[in-house]
Amino acid sequence: MNVFKLQTSRHLFLVTMAVAALVTTAQSQEVDTSDWDCEFCPFESGYRADYQLGVTNVSDDAAYLGDANGYSEEGNYANVDGAGSYSSDGHQLRWLVKDLGLDSRYAELAGNRQGKLDYSVSYREIPRTQFFGSETIFQQSTSDTLSLPANWVRAANTAGMSELNTGLAVRDIDSDRSILQIGGRYKLTNRISFSADYRRQEQQGVDIAGGSYFFQASQLAKPIDYVTDSADFDIRYTTDNGFLSVAWYFSDFESDTAGTNWENPFTSAPGSEFATLAQAPGNNFNQVSLLGGYNFSSTRTSVAFSVTAGRMTQNRAFLPYTSNANVVVSPLPRLSLDGEVDTSNLAFSITTRAIKKARIKLEYRYDERDNGTLQDVWSGVIAEAFVTAATTNIPYSFERSRLGLSADYDLFDTVRVSGGYERKQIDRDFQEVAEQTEDNGWGRVRWSPNGAVQIDIKGGASRRDIDSYNEVFAATLGQNPLLRKYNLAFRYRTFGELTFVAAFPESPVTFTLNGLFADDSYTRSIMGLTSGEELGFTGDLSWALGGKSSLYLTGGFENIDSEQFGSELFAREDWRASNNDEFITVGGGVRIREIGGKFDFQLDYTHSEGTSEIDLVSNVSGQSQFPDLESTLEYLRAQISYRHSDRLELVANLRYQSFLAKNWALEGVGPDTILSVLSLGAQPYDEDTLIFGLGFKYSIGGQQ
Amino acid sequence: MNLQLPGRIAIVLSLGVFFSPYIEAQSADDTTSDIEYSRKGADTCIACHDDADTLAIFQTKHALPSDPLGPFGHGQLQCEACHGPGGDHSPRVRRGEERPPIISFGPDDVTSVSERNEMCLNCHNDGIGFSWNHGPHDVDEIACADCHVSHAPRDAVMQTSTQPEVCFGCHQLQRSETLKAFSHPFFEGNMDCNGCHSSHGDTVATTLARQTVNETCYECHAEKRGPFLWEHAPVSEDCGLCHSPHGSNHPGMLTRRAPLLCQSCHSQAGHPSIAYQDDGLASGTSSQFLLGQACLNCHSQSHGSNHPSGSKLLR
Repeated sequence: MNVFKLQTSRHLFLVTMAVAALVTTAQSQEVDTSDWDCEFCPFESGYRADYQLGVTNVSDDAAYLGDANGYSEEGNYANVDGAGSYSSDGHQLRWLVKDLGLDSRYAELAGNRQGKLDYSVSYREIPRTQFFGSETIFQQSTSDTLSLPANWVRAANTAGMSELNTGLAVRDIDSDRSILQIGGRYKLTNRISFSADYRRQEQQGVDIAGGSYFFQASQLAKPIDYVTDSADFDIRYTTDNGFLSVAWYFSDFESDTAGTNWENPFTSAPGSEFATLAQAPGNNFNQVSLLGGYNFSSTRTSVAFSVTAGRMTQNRAFLPYTSNANVVVSPLPRLSLDGEVDTSNLAFSITTRAIKKARIKLEYRYDERDNGTLQDVWSGVIAEAFVTAATTNIPYSFERSRLGLSADYDLFDTVRVSGGYERKQIDRDFQEVAEQTEDNGWGRVRWSPNGAVQIDIKGGASRRDIDSYNEVFAATLGQNPLLRKYNLAFRYRTFGELTFVAAFPESPVTFTLNGLFADDSYTRSIMGLTSGEELGFTGDLSWALGGKSSLYLTGGFENIDSEQFGSELFAREDWRASNNDEFITVGGGVRIREIGGKFDFQLDYTHSEGTSEIDLVSNVSGQSQFPDLESTLEYLRAQISYRHSDRLELVANLRYQSFLAKNWALEGVGPDTILSVLSLGAQPYDEDTLIFGLGFKYSIGGQQ
Repeated sequence: MNLQLPGRIAIVLSLGVFFSPYIEAQSADDTTSDIEYSRKGADTCIACHDDADTLAIFQTKHALPSDPLGPFGHGQLQCEACHGPGGDHSPRVRRGEERPPIISFGPDDVTSVSERNEMCLNCHNDGIGFSWNHGPHDVDEIACADCHVSHAPRDAVMQTSTQPEVCFGCHQLQRSETLKAFSHPFFEGNMDCNGCHSSHGDTVATTLARQTVNETCYECHAEKRGPFLWEHAPVSEDCGLCHSPHGSNHPGMLTRRAPLLCQSCHSQAGHPSIAYQDDGLASGTSSQFLLGQACLNCHSQSHGSNHPSGSKLLR
């Protein structure tokens, strides 16, 4: 190969391309395209669609493995999928349907017209299955009331509940979320565009909630019926070098009920048999934004800013302190919260490549949450029987800012060095720390000895300081004065990252390796979290075996350690707990296309394994090593398709999945295992399913 | 750093003003060159590049002849609008001579990433172009074509069900995290990365879709937004203080298991400060502070309560 000729050719080409990039817009007017008839261009016209129909059999019920994918119950499912388009002069319409026969169905219609209008409508359902086979004695008598069976005999603890076994009924913990989206963008002129996007999310079903009577509690299958409407509107003015946009975001949340009434299965004082758990209150959020950006193309400098102001409000009528008419309690200070939180955000960023071989970025960000909700003194009733000491509500506010400067410099053709500094500050109200700062510095070296290999090493440190930890304020909350909450504590962090990429153009193999570590030291904390450490590696190898086959392997390892101290005697630290989370995942797969010109084959396998260890040592109560918390997921998927013709394809797929969890918090915990908690008896997952599907894909329209 | 908002704005604007003269004082090289385009536009290209993957672009909105602003609109540059002038690339070459390259957007493309991206940003400057230069993908020299396949009738990164796999090609640790026992439904294809992240870059930290972490989470979890009568301070500040949004070994994507997570901040005399031992498991005394939902057996309103008697987040 004539290296000189190639180099020269590349340089000439690069210069040509650089100029072309700068003047492309103008060129469209200058180039004579009168002979560019595009007579061989297969422009789309009319319909084109692929339909997929089939049937899938699922071997077993599986709450975890069927969560969100619609295959949660044993049985047969109809598979209806498809995608298509319609094109006419000036108008293109595209549609997609997926899993229509499942509870995880999705449909989308999108179109555009002559570069003037883009629009889309979509609908998605996401079934959430948390637990199957959980049991409850509560019967949902109305949409907001959970009652006990008629013959229920109350007792002081679960062991004494004589009607428990006869009263239990299976209640799966599941819910459905649906999301409707309608949006569009209209170009009024070449400069001005308007966009709108509306979404409606509905969530219905049951969730687990603890219903407390102070000394006893019941796990409830709490009904939920939520609706969230949200919308974005944006009007934008764009020039060749910049844009300015005014936007409005609106979100409104409503819950069908104000609270869930439930009947206490434990022995209760007369009149205190029913309690109410507040549902999430209806609330809304409005936010207006002014966004802008400008590119100084001559100096390769870009500036961007955003200024937003928002308001969250919530004014749902309060529930009474208690439903027990026998309790004498002062009236509510007001009948609803009239809660109001103002948010403001300011961001500014300037990036320049004006200096040869360098890139400099300066950014500033400010966020404020100003909770203007009025404070009042509230009585409060516990266990629907006892009036508590008066308490004042605390409306938390904070201001947060971040100033950062970073730079990259191409030291040599093959080496880039980067560095950055960042200062963060958070000021808070009504918390132990009023002012907190964090200084963060980092450096990075990227070495690209050739176009095929790249090594990236980054390292840095950050130091979080506080003005003072207000122990007097902490004492008013009943806290041990030696405790330092981890988000308010002094912290010194070191961190590093390594990335290695090898992708040789001549070689069919691509390899990537990532590694990271972070070490947190809360050296001034005697109690609370005192240290944390994270170490992670991932690797990825892909291998193109000729033009029609490929193979990939992936792997990952992550280890997270932390240590914390506490005091059983409410004095100096007298116990220590260490948490260790480990996670390993390996996977691989092959793709083989056009076997014998007719068959495609695909195989994917994933194995992931999580282990959490907790060790605890107390000078007061002794030493414990809890059984490991474990989870193991296996996933094997094979698919083979046979291309009968250009339009017809037969597809068969087989999936084996298993998920096994060991979780001492649930293992062996039946409804009456805990004397003071009537539980739902949900057990750790132990599921495996075989999913077999058969179907065909048929294409119509288009140019075959 | 005790400045109030107006002071902060003043600093920012001052910096902008400070930089402006310097920026404006620079001038680009006044380069001129004869740029040769192909003789017949797309017809020239299709004479060689007639494979199905290439021609699939005619099923996309990039190839609408009725779109006056699109590459195939009247008077536009067709293939060369994106791939650059093909006047040198398209003619016959002598035997043994290498064909002059064109912007291919492929792995063996000899043009720089910024030049390739410039070709996209020439048209996609409505928002994307002005935020791109401020995001981490630009810093890391990610090419648009590293994520987007503009010839595909349905670009994988634009589809919710396939987008995560595209992102995970580089963000491998995040892929690994989503396979943990408790995660968002990425694996099932019901959620994409853009649900939370603004991948084209913006002025928000970690390129979130909304202004803050919490505002991003509230997009789907608006029931936790409040404001509540009884707030839980860290909840109002940052969901990430207790949750690992990409996945966790622990239910609810919590960073650690209750009660120890709660005891990191709650040390009051009585049950919050007790070191709960393994004799409290189901095989022993079955502690209500360890089993089931641990602290949440009673304090189920950990995200905030609007019940007048809910100051302890019990109801």
